[in-house]
Amino acid sequence: MKMQYQKQANIKKKEISEIERLSEGLEDYIVLQDGHIVTKKVSSAFDDLMILTYDEALQSYPALFNELVNVKHPSSDAYQYNFDECNSGLLLYLPKKKRISKPLHIFYVATTEEFTHNTFLYLEQESELNYFEHLFSDAVGSYSYVSNAIVHEAANLTYGALSNLGKDVASYVYRNASVDRYGISKYSLADVGDAIQLMYQTINLNGEYASGTSKTIAITSGVQEARYETLLEHNALYSEGYIEHYGVANNESALIFEGIGQINKGMKQSIARQQNHGIVLGEKARLDANPLLLIDEYDVIASHGAAIGKIDDDELYYLMSRGLTEKAAQRLIINGFLSPVMSLLETDTLKNMFLKRVEEKTL
Amino acid sequence: MATLKIINLHAEVEGIEILRGVDLEIKGGQTHAIMGPNGTGKSTLASVVMGHPKYTVTEGEILLDGKNVLEMSVDERSRAGLFLGMQAPSEVPGVTNSDFIKTAMNARLEEGKNISLFKFIREYDRAVEDLKMSEDLPHRYLNQGFSGGEKKRNEILQMKMLKPSIAILDEIDSGLDVDALKIVGENVTAMKNKDLGLLLITHYQRLLEYIEADFVHVMMKGKIVKSGDISLMKKIDQDGYDWIKEELGIDDERVFVKEEEQKVMLGTCATKEALDL
Repeated sequence: MKMQYQKQANIKKKEISEIERLSEGLEDYIVLQDGHIVTKKVSSAFDDLMILTYDEALQSYPALFNELVNVKHPSSDAYQYNFDECNSGLLLYLPKKKRISKPLHIFYVATTEEFTHNTFLYLEQESELNYFEHLFSDAVGSYSYVSNAIVHEAANLTYGALSNLGKDVASYVYRNASVDRYGISKYSLADVGDAIQLMYQTINLNGEYASGTSKTIAITSGVQEARYETLLEHNALYSEGYIEHYGVANNESALIFEGIGQINKGMKQSIARQQNHGIVLGEKARLDANPLLLIDEYDVIASHGAAIGKIDDDELYYLMSRGLTEKAAQRLIINGFLSPVMSLLETDTLKNMFLKRVEEKTL
Repeated sequence: MATLKIINLHAEVEGIEILRGVDLEIKGGQTHAIMGPNGTGKSTLASVVMGHPKYTVTEGEILLDGKNVLEMSVDERSRAGLFLGMQAPSEVPGVTNSDFIKTAMNARLEEGKNISLFKFIREYDRAVEDLKMSEDLPHRYLNQGFSGGEKKRNEILQMKMLKPSIAILDEIDSGLDVDALKIVGENVTAMKNKDLGLLLITHYQRLLEYIEADFVHVMMKGKIVKSGDISLMKKIDQDGYDWIKEELGIDDERVFVKEEEQKVMLGTCATKEALDL
């Protein structure tokens, strides 16, 4: 892997002040701009966690990178491009039996035309990490982001993401996890940006009783096009995978969810469940959900479903009959629909930012 | 003191006329009860007054203190003082009861003004206690997972908070056990005052044992066919509706006959064969 760090002499003021505002009230956070850690405010709770940029990490943990290279990944050009051209990298390494329940927030800010970042989360046996990333860019250009997580036996990863990329950004985001025996990985991803978006998530359940959950919430507006693919692959007995997609499509935007629960041959007693919920607001908007189950084994439990439609007329009538205007009623219903993500946002600042973006995008 | 006037009201749904000339006047301080067998248009009347989008008014007028209600949107009607306690309230996931009612109360104030949080919580807690509902109610999602009785009590709770001038309670007694009916009855009775006009829609006289009505009306074939005082209710309780039908020469009191539900068989989906794998 090549490391090409661009020296960025002039840090743009605007993005940084926005991040300063958003990080208000957060206890532990890191701001990474164009490959450089520009702010690091991390309490002693994280003393056991190694936080290294890739050029530091390549020297001290070369063995880990072998695992990273060998991680099962899609054979796509975009993934390969990120791997070859990455100009920003971050390794979080948590040793055996170290458990940190406080969340660590990381802001990935792009101000350059080309942002190509790679994050590597490595959780050793029985460790626990609560990680929350913020993807942020107002620049004109491409934003390529890949994160790989290796969750070892009985380790527990809670992964939150809030992405808010501007309309002039074309973005590719890929998040992958490999989970070992009794390991748990729980992803909650929210996208309130205006970018043309391709977002992929895969969780490989590689050990018995491994469990993976992926929740995605997305709102598209304007002429935005966005596609979210989630694959949970069961490569072990007794593994559990859950996929949930929530979407709102406004104006003339197109939003596609593709969820795949794949249980391979012999992986008995596995559970694969999936649900998709969507609200189509715009008359010309389009929201597709393809809930797939690919099952090559008889002794499994599986379910999949999708409910897409406009806002329920009876719900709207009910709220309006108590004096709420149509707009206020609609806002309340949408906020309620998106409430699974609200509970993940720690501070009022983040909650308000999220609500403001939801309002802007659903007006 | 508010007055709701319904004059020669005709309304239809999907081309079928359900209300065929309803006349009714409710004044503040009065309690009216509309009785009648199933399918005679009682609930439709309630929905039309509130403005459910499913119904089209083809003739007649509804006036609230002289103002034309039919020109108002649903939310304007509510803010003008109308309230409908619904037979089957919707469930709204993700919206908590307290957020909802707070938003509804704020909608009644001038723009930018909000109800004091302390005052709200105190009032809400008291209403929860009066209706003997569970303490976690404010944090539960609106009607989601509520039992039939809880939903009905939640309607009364909203009425308590919003203090309408004309309230219509549509079969508020259905799905309530005796204890719950007593609680609802006591709470509604406690709200009675000279400014509140109340319209109860029910098929049983049971509700009227707990909430006294000044006027009793019987609805058949989409019209009010008989009006009287509480003695009319007692006669119906003893003799049923047949004597009214006979008196008026009505064979079938209903305006519409429910069609039988069509059952659809679900096929299998996403099998390997279907996906061509």
